[in-house]
Amino acid sequence: MDRNEFVKRLFDRISEREKTDSQVRYAGSEVCFEAGSSFEVQVKDGEIIGYNVSDGTGLGFRMLTGSGRVGYASTQILDEAAVDQLLDGALENAALVESEDEQFIYAGDDKYPELKLYNPALEEITAAQKIEMARKLEKLTLEQDPRIAQVEDCAIFSSSDFRAIHNGSGLDVTNRVNLLGGYVAAVARDGEKVNTGFEMFFTMKPEEIDLEKVARRAAKEALDGLDAVQADSGAYRVLLRNDVAATLLATFSGVFSADSAQKGLSRLKGREGETVAAECVTLMDNPHLETSAASTPFDGEGVATQPKAVIEGGRLNTLLHNLKTARKQGVKTTANASRPGYAASVGVAPTNFYFKPTDVGFEEMLEKLGDGLLVTDLQGMHAGANPITGDFSLAAKGFAVHGGKLGEAVAQITVAGNFYELLKDVEAVGGDLEFRSPGASCFGSPCLLVKRLSVAGK
Amino acid sequence: MILKSVAEQALNEALKTGGDFAELYCEDRRGGGVGLVDGHVETATTMRSHGAGIRVYNGLSSVYVHTNDTSLNGLVAAARKAADAVDGAAGVGDIHLTEAIAANRHPIRVMPMDVAGSRKAKLLKDMDLAARAVSPEIRQVRANLIYWDSDVLIANSEGLFTGDRRVYTRMACSAVAEGNGESQSGSTSPGAMMGFELFEDRVDVAEQARIAANRAVTMLHAEPCPAGVMPVVIDGGFGGVIFHEACGHSLEAQAVAFGNSEFAGKLGQRIASPIVTAIDDGTMPGEWGSLNIDDEGTPTTRLTLIKDGVLVNYMVDRLNGRRMNMPMTGSSRRQDYTFAPTSRMRNTFIAPGSDDESEIIATCGDGLYAKSMGGGSVNPVTGEFNFAVAEGYLIKDGKIDKPVRGATLIGRGSEVLKKIDRVGGNMWMAQGMCGASSGSIPTNVGQPMIRVTDMTVGGR
Repeated sequence: MDRNEFVKRLFDRISEREKTDSQVRYAGSEVCFEAGSSFEVQVKDGEIIGYNVSDGTGLGFRMLTGSGRVGYASTQILDEAAVDQLLDGALENAALVESEDEQFIYAGDDKYPELKLYNPALEEITAAQKIEMARKLEKLTLEQDPRIAQVEDCAIFSSSDFRAIHNGSGLDVTNRVNLLGGYVAAVARDGEKVNTGFEMFFTMKPEEIDLEKVARRAAKEALDGLDAVQADSGAYRVLLRNDVAATLLATFSGVFSADSAQKGLSRLKGREGETVAAECVTLMDNPHLETSAASTPFDGEGVATQPKAVIEGGRLNTLLHNLKTARKQGVKTTANASRPGYAASVGVAPTNFYFKPTDVGFEEMLEKLGDGLLVTDLQGMHAGANPITGDFSLAAKGFAVHGGKLGEAVAQITVAGNFYELLKDVEAVGGDLEFRSPGASCFGSPCLLVKRLSVAGK
Repeated sequence: MILKSVAEQALNEALKTGGDFAELYCEDRRGGGVGLVDGHVETATTMRSHGAGIRVYNGLSSVYVHTNDTSLNGLVAAARKAADAVDGAAGVGDIHLTEAIAANRHPIRVMPMDVAGSRKAKLLKDMDLAARAVSPEIRQVRANLIYWDSDVLIANSEGLFTGDRRVYTRMACSAVAEGNGESQSGSTSPGAMMGFELFEDRVDVAEQARIAANRAVTMLHAEPCPAGVMPVVIDGGFGGVIFHEACGHSLEAQAVAFGNSEFAGKLGQRIASPIVTAIDDGTMPGEWGSLNIDDEGTPTTRLTLIKDGVLVNYMVDRLNGRRMNMPMTGSSRRQDYTFAPTSRMRNTFIAPGSDDESEIIATCGDGLYAKSMGGGSVNPVTGEFNFAVAEGYLIKDGKIDKPVRGATLIGRGSEVLKKIDRVGGNMWMAQGMCGASSGSIPTNVGQPMIRVTDMTVGGR
């Protein structure tokens, strides 16, 4: 059956059961419905080697029971049997929960921001056009330089997603987003030497797509690293390129979650109002950027979202909250309740999370660095970074910088430090803000000049 | 799950535009998880996913379409969508399926979805209590149980109509130790292709929690690891992640077929030290990376990848087998019906050698002992890898000295394999989730204790 019919059946069943079961609460019931379609085409030497089309729906149900516990259940089948499965599953799960934290089913806000996150023009781009784009991106990459021997991976993808949250307390909100993107991994070879370069893009505005730029950056990255040498071990002043700084922020973004802090899993616990970063650091969470699929008018609990500075001039203004963590701390939610998918339970996560840029250009940042290391790639984030302690020790690539000018490429090194210390060690923030990793959260940064990181090499 | 006649109609539809091979993968999965933090059960979830994916080949081109709608109409519509993307001569469908039942090597005694919530909660509390009892420095414990029961059906235009049921159970315990304004964590997460008999037959949850807690406390009192190039002794179990990352991914046909692997074209050549033999085995009973049949319906195998240092096999799926003109090895896997499958690892390990563990340390001089590894990643084209040491100790003059934290090992797969100069006799495995183009799948890594003559160790 379709979504509206299923939801109606489900809520009818809930009001029937409410009369006989003191645990079942109509006002405590909520569904999160998602429907999405996606497309991806991969090419190799102009041939299509991968072609994926998907349509999917799913419905997550949660219930705040009479005893104040929340239970979850989800399904991808919307049939009669699923109605009872959801209801019984949620009740059974709620009975297991012992946490004393107060939970909420939100009645909704009077007003929600109007955001343009869906571009109908994107839906009109045909599969054939996307295939042509992928072929063009591969060809452009190969044409950048004779040493670009092959393209390891080249794809164009698009997605279109719909989310609705509806509950028995009056909340009824919907959001629709779409985007188109692509990526290319170039392989440069010169004799025995080999190196790869990766670049991606994603956008809602097809007129802004510049495949030549994507190809150029991927090829440059691969070529630049061909003659890389191992740097000497030691402490370096470091310029983190924008995408690298964004990746680090993504890795450690959990430390800004009030949920993590309340569980003792973040060293920012209780530090609101204190200086936690250098004065030049301002960290934004902005759910209203109309260029990102992570933007949303309402959070995972249906609360209206708003932009906010988490760190302003080095001072920690607030952690990120949902209704539960806010109540626990006696503050107002920051509307950062996350639900990374319809089946997921409510947590806390940023939306578009980024260091606020200045107007200092990249060249000027290199000059500020003078002598040191430009880091252009970090690998092993899921293993070499400890999100609780802030410690990281990661494989890196980059360039030596001498007198403000790019020098020899370096590889086979590790860069180690601590995220909390790094926040305080930022000497300057660049102007080249760029976002990475489109998803439920999106992370961005300009390049960051950092006082000191440890490098292991030869 | 679906009828043979429905599968036949969908496959016939999929080949109407000239595709030369079509496959249907249907999956119905029930699963759940229970999580504890702060000593209380905090979350409990139940999920049901259901859908199908249809794949069509036209020579070396492959199209994949997936949907939640597994009715006859839904599957035929998805098949048509796949066929529409194939640009071949008009084909005539005449597919007849013959049912084949795969032998079950992994009988399940206690279905996880039937286990009472109270028993699940008790297991979590046992972990919490055991971890906290290790030391007053343990300030936080997270304990989780996850489990799923997946029913799959696979049919293809060569007449295959088969199925498999896969039941997985896993625990995870993470403990945080705090002191002197610092904190460190330790974790363990054993699992198996088993039901809750896992906790009767193989895994003592309290013992696992103590290992996690001890690791956190040890690392809290550890000094930062010095950086530099040194000999490294990597212990067994999860230490096998070095082989998984540095070599295993580069032996998957998806990397080899396009020359995106440093081991492409090297069959029959020496790629490792002669004391190294490596195996990828999908048949081991009840193991986390095992399957009766792979996700294309091919029975799994025990495959020797490297024999006495010589490369003898790649892991090959159907499509890349076509590209490479090599037979399938039962290695094709996917996270679920939303992913097209490709060649992946199963239970991958370095086979036991003949060296004595105490001699390996005693003759090491000064170096690093990586007792427990964290995860890592690799660039398959260049072979550059990195991985984190979860519990490490300095070796001083052939003796294990003080613990060190924050160590990272980096290198190139082809180089490190040649630098292995000791392989111990006692091999064991550990569980991981491996992420790649066909999604996140359960894999085992394993090895005995090994020694690498020199590696770049990252630290502070």
